[in-house]
Amino acid sequence: MSNDLLWVEKYRPKKIEDIVGNEEAKAALIEWLKNKRRSKKAVLLYGPPGVGKTALVNAASKGFGFSIIEMNASDSRSEKAINEVAKPATSYVALDNFSSANKGKGNLLFLDEVDGIAGNEDRGGVGAIIKIVEEARVPVIMAANDPDIDKLRPLKKVCLLIRFHQIRIPLIIALLQKICLLEHVKAEFEALERIAQNSKGDVRSAINDLQSLAEENHALILQDTMALTSRNKDISMDDTLRGFFSTKSVTEASSLLSRSNVDYDEFIMSVGDNLPRRYSDPEELAAAYDFVSQADVFRGRIGTENWHLLKYFFNALSRASAVAPESYKPFELISPPIRIITLFWTKGKRTMLDGICGKIGAQCHVSHSIAKHDFVPFIKIILQNTKSSSLIPWFKFTPEEVDFLLKMNRY
Amino acid sequence: MAVNEEALMWVEKYRPKNLNEVVDLHDIVESLKAFMKNPKTMPHLMFAGIPGTGKTTLALCIAHELFGPTWKNFTLELNASDERGIDTVRERVKDFSRYSRSGFGNVPFALIILDECDQMTGPAQTALRRIMETSSRTSRFILICNQSSKIIEPIQSRCAIFRFSKLDKQAMKEQLQCIAKKEKVNLLPEAAERIVDYSEGDLRHAINALQTAAAYGGVVDEKTVSVVVGEASPMQVQKMIRKALFGDFIEARKTMYEIMGSYGFSGSEIIRQVQREIFKMSDLTPEQKADLSNVIGEYDYRLTQGANSDIQLSALLAQFAKFGKAIGETY
Repeated sequence: MSNDLLWVEKYRPKKIEDIVGNEEAKAALIEWLKNKRRSKKAVLLYGPPGVGKTALVNAASKGFGFSIIEMNASDSRSEKAINEVAKPATSYVALDNFSSANKGKGNLLFLDEVDGIAGNEDRGGVGAIIKIVEEARVPVIMAANDPDIDKLRPLKKVCLLIRFHQIRIPLIIALLQKICLLEHVKAEFEALERIAQNSKGDVRSAINDLQSLAEENHALILQDTMALTSRNKDISMDDTLRGFFSTKSVTEASSLLSRSNVDYDEFIMSVGDNLPRRYSDPEELAAAYDFVSQADVFRGRIGTENWHLLKYFFNALSRASAVAPESYKPFELISPPIRIITLFWTKGKRTMLDGICGKIGAQCHVSHSIAKHDFVPFIKIILQNTKSSSLIPWFKFTPEEVDFLLKMNRY
Repeated sequence: MAVNEEALMWVEKYRPKNLNEVVDLHDIVESLKAFMKNPKTMPHLMFAGIPGTGKTTLALCIAHELFGPTWKNFTLELNASDERGIDTVRERVKDFSRYSRSGFGNVPFALIILDECDQMTGPAQTALRRIMETSSRTSRFILICNQSSKIIEPIQSRCAIFRFSKLDKQAMKEQLQCIAKKEKVNLLPEAAERIVDYSEGDLRHAINALQTAAAYGGVVDEKTVSVVVGEASPMQVQKMIRKALFGDFIEARKTMYEIMGSYGFSGSEIIRQVQREIFKMSDLTPEQKADLSNVIGEYDYRLTQGANSDIQLSALLAQFAKFGKAIGETY
């Protein structure tokens, strides 16, 4: 047994069946590869890292007898480089396949991490890829994490898009158990569970974490996993948002939401923040917000116990993503939620005003709310007109409170 | 009218201290006086009516009548909207009735004034009903609310209910003139008229407006009142509405968060102000106001059902933007 091998390499799936999760995506790619008269000559696989995009391409092409010609982020992507490597590969059926034993179907061009095409260095890269796709006589497969980057937009038109999702926690746990068995690692279930949860659906990072924690002692207890740092925490929310806004149908959005493990309350707030960027037409915006509003009503009904209503929440919210699918353009996301930021920055003001209203309430027998509405605006004007008003000692206002009232914006 | 020398807000300074000083509200005052003759017969009371019509004043008058100058020792004033929850209310009532259970003279109970009861949730009201029952031997409640319909039946049936209607305009004007005279302020009749119109039957609001206008010094005329009304009206809320109607949704929403954040207003408070401001807008036709009011009503309802008031308010602003676009040519 070679000990110096990374487990992610060692246990890289060899067959399509070995890949865990994303059954729909797998089926879609197989369907596309099987079909001789493809409607689109290229596919773009996209989804978060470590969910098996590259693994699926490798396993599938092996299964169907393609030879892979691969370029990835570490290669240069200038037009020239792409043409040098990719063009010959796509134009001719490889000669060496004639002699090979398997019934070779020819070449398959695989461009991994196409969202890594960046800046001047890769000038013309996207254009060249499109040209290749158009001229290609062999299948072209691309993979990306983020399909919404502006410069990839032209690509999305010529490609069949296949979406990958995070791998569900139980599947990751099962895979880790299998590896532990093969590596003779005695691991507590709770420890594996924690690694899986911490991976946020990224199989590669889960396997890496397992190896780093368990390889030496061949044993793993929950205690050992405490040192794990949280992975991809922010990416998870952004990915869900991005996926949510780029979905083409209500069903797709709804199933995305039910799979994602983001906090629903934070998510609906972020959707609210981002809707104006998604819909510039007031009518579309109003329609979308109306669905978000309905979702929020369901959220209210769910409260803390009626979680069986969650599907209605998802459905209502999902409809907000599909008000006008044809007008979708990628946009820059706003996060974290504006409300949380605003409440954070204004906390001092609020506390100050609350204190003032409490003092008014004590003297005038009114609630904070009435003090705020029916007293504060008037007292402010009185203080502005009579600087050393005897009201100040009567209310027991501190100098800071007086200063605050004087400077306060009218609401 | 008694003058409390210490009180410097005029609403407090000129608040009647006993039932004889109350000039309006004859029917209610007469019934209450009957209870005062034999306090043992006084039931729990409920005062219902719009703000600034004398509910708290009458409750405090009763406290004065029952307990004299030491009324504070036998009266617990609570505000349902300020207390953290029904458990806090229960604890405070329990503690209070423990210390004051002997009552005072021939009054065998202590008084608990609970303001803004209609802000309490259904479960909280049920708990309140239980509290009223367990402490009924030592305490009497005066429950104050804006709408008695928001109070659960079992509580209503345990109380003698008094309804306070909008104060008479003439009576309000007289009150204002009376206060002005005592404060040696020259209040012109037109100015008094203007204050009363603006206050919509809310005497507290009217007196605060008068005191503010007087702070400018000199004669209180219509112009001074207009300045006060303008200065004290919710500018940010107007700004938010205008921005939304002009299609600048993002800015409108930003203003909404400023209002919520800096002033701590709840969603329903803001939506109430929005409703009020819409009807003040002179550049909208009555039909347009009515249309908008329908939309506001829908989201006001959803606000009570939903989980996040800012989402409902944002949705409302989005509707405003759509509305603004629809009437774009004329607006």
